[in-house]
Amino acid sequence: MRQRSFLLLVLCAITGWCVLRAQRPFKDYPALEYQNFPLPPDWQQSTEWTRARLRYPSLLAPHGIPDGPRRWTIDYPRSDRHLLQGIRRLTRIDTRSVEQVVDLDGEDDVYNWPSLYAVEVGYWNLTDQQAKQLREFLLRGGFLMVDDFHGTVEWNNFVAGIEKVFPDRDIVDLDNKDPIFHVIYDLDDRFQVPGMQYVFTRSLFEYDGFQAKWRGIYDDQGRLMVVICHNMDLGDAWENSDDPRYPEKFASLAYRIAVNYWTYDLTH
Amino acid sequence: MFELLFKYPQAVFSRGTFVLLGGWPVWLLAVAILVAAAGLGYLVWNRTGGRMAGAKSVAVWVLQTLLAAVLLAMLWHPALSVATLRPQQNIVAVVVDDSASMAQTDEAGGATRRAAAESVLNSGLLNALKDKFQVRLYRLGDHLDRFDKLEQLNSSIPATHIGEGLKQVIADAASLPIGAVVLASDGADNSGGVDLETISEIRRQRIPIHTIGFGKEHAARDIEISDVQVPARALPDSRLSAIVSFHQNGYSGEKAKLTVKEGAKILAQQMVTLKKDGQEQSQTLLFNAGTAGVKSVETSIEPLAGEESTKNNLVTRLVNVDARKPRILYLEGEPRWEFKFLRRAVEDDRTIDLVTILRTTQNKIYRQGIANPDELKDGFPTKVEELFAFDGIIIGSVDAPYLTPGQQTLLKDFVDRRGGGLLFLGGKDALSDGGWKQSADVELLPTILPDRKNTFVRVGANVELTAPGRDSLITRLEEDPAKNVERWQKLPYVMNFQDVGQPKPGAVVLVDAKPTTGGRVPLLITQNFGRGRTAIFATGGSWRWQMLQPLADKSHEMFYQQLLRWLVSDTPRKVITSTPKQLISDDSHVSLRAEVRDRTYLPASDAKAEAHILGPDGIAELVEMRPDPIESGVYTADWTTPKTGSYLVEVTASRGTEELGRDTMTFRREDGVAENFHIQQNRELLEKLSSETGGRYYTPQDAQKLGKDISYSEAGITVRETRDLWDMPIVFLLLLSLRAGEWLLRRKWGVI
Repeated sequence: MRQRSFLLLVLCAITGWCVLRAQRPFKDYPALEYQNFPLPPDWQQSTEWTRARLRYPSLLAPHGIPDGPRRWTIDYPRSDRHLLQGIRRLTRIDTRSVEQVVDLDGEDDVYNWPSLYAVEVGYWNLTDQQAKQLREFLLRGGFLMVDDFHGTVEWNNFVAGIEKVFPDRDIVDLDNKDPIFHVIYDLDDRFQVPGMQYVFTRSLFEYDGFQAKWRGIYDDQGRLMVVICHNMDLGDAWENSDDPRYPEKFASLAYRIAVNYWTYDLTH
Repeated sequence: MFELLFKYPQAVFSRGTFVLLGGWPVWLLAVAILVAAAGLGYLVWNRTGGRMAGAKSVAVWVLQTLLAAVLLAMLWHPALSVATLRPQQNIVAVVVDDSASMAQTDEAGGATRRAAAESVLNSGLLNALKDKFQVRLYRLGDHLDRFDKLEQLNSSIPATHIGEGLKQVIADAASLPIGAVVLASDGADNSGGVDLETISEIRRQRIPIHTIGFGKEHAARDIEISDVQVPARALPDSRLSAIVSFHQNGYSGEKAKLTVKEGAKILAQQMVTLKKDGQEQSQTLLFNAGTAGVKSVETSIEPLAGEESTKNNLVTRLVNVDARKPRILYLEGEPRWEFKFLRRAVEDDRTIDLVTILRTTQNKIYRQGIANPDELKDGFPTKVEELFAFDGIIIGSVDAPYLTPGQQTLLKDFVDRRGGGLLFLGGKDALSDGGWKQSADVELLPTILPDRKNTFVRVGANVELTAPGRDSLITRLEEDPAKNVERWQKLPYVMNFQDVGQPKPGAVVLVDAKPTTGGRVPLLITQNFGRGRTAIFATGGSWRWQMLQPLADKSHEMFYQQLLRWLVSDTPRKVITSTPKQLISDDSHVSLRAEVRDRTYLPASDAKAEAHILGPDGIAELVEMRPDPIESGVYTADWTTPKTGSYLVEVTASRGTEELGRDTMTFRREDGVAENFHIQQNRELLEKLSSETGGRYYTPQDAQKLGKDISYSEAGITVRETRDLWDMPIVFLLLLSLRAGEWLLRRKWGVI
């Protein structure tokens, strides 16, 4: 009897440990642009929220970037750390100073981080299994913001991926009246936010992405689940917001967009 | 046998007083007994010549002394003084129960109880009574009637009010020499028994009530619903419980099907295993209240084969599903996932209107669910009318100083005076960490908050239902209690929890958190406070129940919906209407009560309250309610229902041209239904009635003795008589036994 009780105890302990381990700790990944990026001093601080970055498989680069599979790391982690500082300063969101990288790997970890961001989704290549998990994540209440993809080709590839997730839901242009543009800042007057290329070329767009598109996918209750920032590069704006060459007006709008989007996520 | 040994009936001994008729004083008897004892002692010890040891001598001495004592007592001429009714000068009231329950065929040979009563009265008892007294026959139903012949009885009266009937007999006794009452009944009373006032009055009149009980004391094969408790009011779509109490005989161990229905629609159904015969058992069935309106909820047990009566298998109750949509104001101090998922959890709940104020930045708030653009534009209400417009308040991760002292006082009044519900959530700025320990609202909280900071910790914790939590509707995620406990155990852990200290006396802990670091802390605590109720849900991490469970799992939604419904379902409006009994059985009188409050929820003693009553067959009446002279703001009215059926009452209260509020209530009048319940003989009631009044309970078999016993009464016209005791056969037998006992002992010891 004692032996059985002991075994039961051990089993419970193991189960409990496994359950708790479902939430993975912070991990720093090598990125395309940044290696050994310094961690902020309070990176271990336990807080209410952080924004997660989706690690997805991507197509090989069509235009010269050699390391295709690591496209999810574009601007990472400098962009994330800058953004989180901005969120902390401008809102009452109790945010961590570091991001959380998550995978759609069939495990439960992604569900611990309902605020998800993906970059360069013009090259994402989700498997059917990953698309299914992303759909489940979003329908349970998760929120996905995608950014930094430009022109028709990248749009088409993004759509191919998101249609795997939601074959039956439309991508719609967001109305200026949507609460997402008013939750903290009134953002009726938005403009295209270019990437760092603007500093060198003065071009606001990339490829044929001449006009910024503010789009999204709603759930059945009229809440945005996916917000799509096409033909703009908010990630670059956050990343380079401390670079004197990068115009302040772009960085400023990028922060206000992020503040509104993530606050919308936490209120809808 | 008793009378053979003691010469007189029991009634003589129970009603008589003991006297000694001999002329000598009583003390002389005591002295004589002592002298006899001493003399016998001397003789026993000195004249046996040592042939008996100590114990044997004592035994002989005791026997001889007792013999002498009895003989001496007889010389003093003992007797009983008893009051007896004067023949032909007194009236005996014979009250025969003529209600429908007397038509039960559970007497010998399949005879009805009424037939058995007629048989007992006809086979000599009635004649024996008539020989000595004038006999007045009464038949008992919901009131008392005189009748002449037993053939007139037909067991057709749909109700029995024994107490009311006996009151009428007492009223008659004021002008008539009623010496005793004989009540032939099964004891089935529909008015809840005989009240103490009636019994006291009978005792004052010294009228003995002799009862003859008819019907089986225990049905051989029957299931009966004793009671069904359902809330009188509910919110649309809320989960309600029907607590069904029932008992059975003859079906122990068998299965029975309990059903809750509204019309033809089955709301809940459950199989139960029947317990021991006669044992009361209880089962809770959960069902959805459905849409707004008055619901007639029928609870039944499917009849089993061979049941003696199936009319007691069905009970009807009324539930008034209120059309109102309570509003809850949720104040949150930081954008966080708990806020988002709480809002989503109740978004589908059509019955609750959630209005939120969120501090998004240091100086900005974001409002959702507001009725108009101006509502709450300045943040948390500062005016009583504005705050009291809500039915419930949720305070999230908000530090107490964010609210001014005036707002904190308002919050207390909201619960205490308004009767609203207040829920505190855990968070980094909540409870102790937010300075609520030092706030004016600390007494509202159901726990004694720790006197320290850092009580909110981001450590995972599993959740577990406590014993009260297993019975609570707030935490009922599964209808089956065992499955519910299991489901709670399987919930994903909460991300964080807050130490809220020890529960206050009267608070109920429904859920505990079991942190991975060890220990156990209360997580969900509720309590009533003033007219309202408060609760703490000491976490901001229950959102994982939504995110970490499959989409089809509705645990998180159900929990918050049920918690918030509990928070507001009993929040009163400005007018609250009630009646002491929602189901009026075999009665036509109904008392209406309305509690009226003004816009600030202070009692309105200068209002005008009117009850608009709608009943069956187009009955419509306007009844003006009177202010209660004792309770301020309370208005009452009595009304007589003209017919059986369901009634809807809408009370409107106004002050001048201003309407203060209105409330609706339902009640139902049923005639003849209660008579189908408690079908076995209520011997306990009949025995109590007779013993309290100096009478005696008789079975039909020994009822003929009543003819003799009934003479001994102190009511009516009496004469006091004495009855000698010295010549009772028992005295002779006693003397003989004492002498024979001594002889047998001596023979055994060889000392004859």
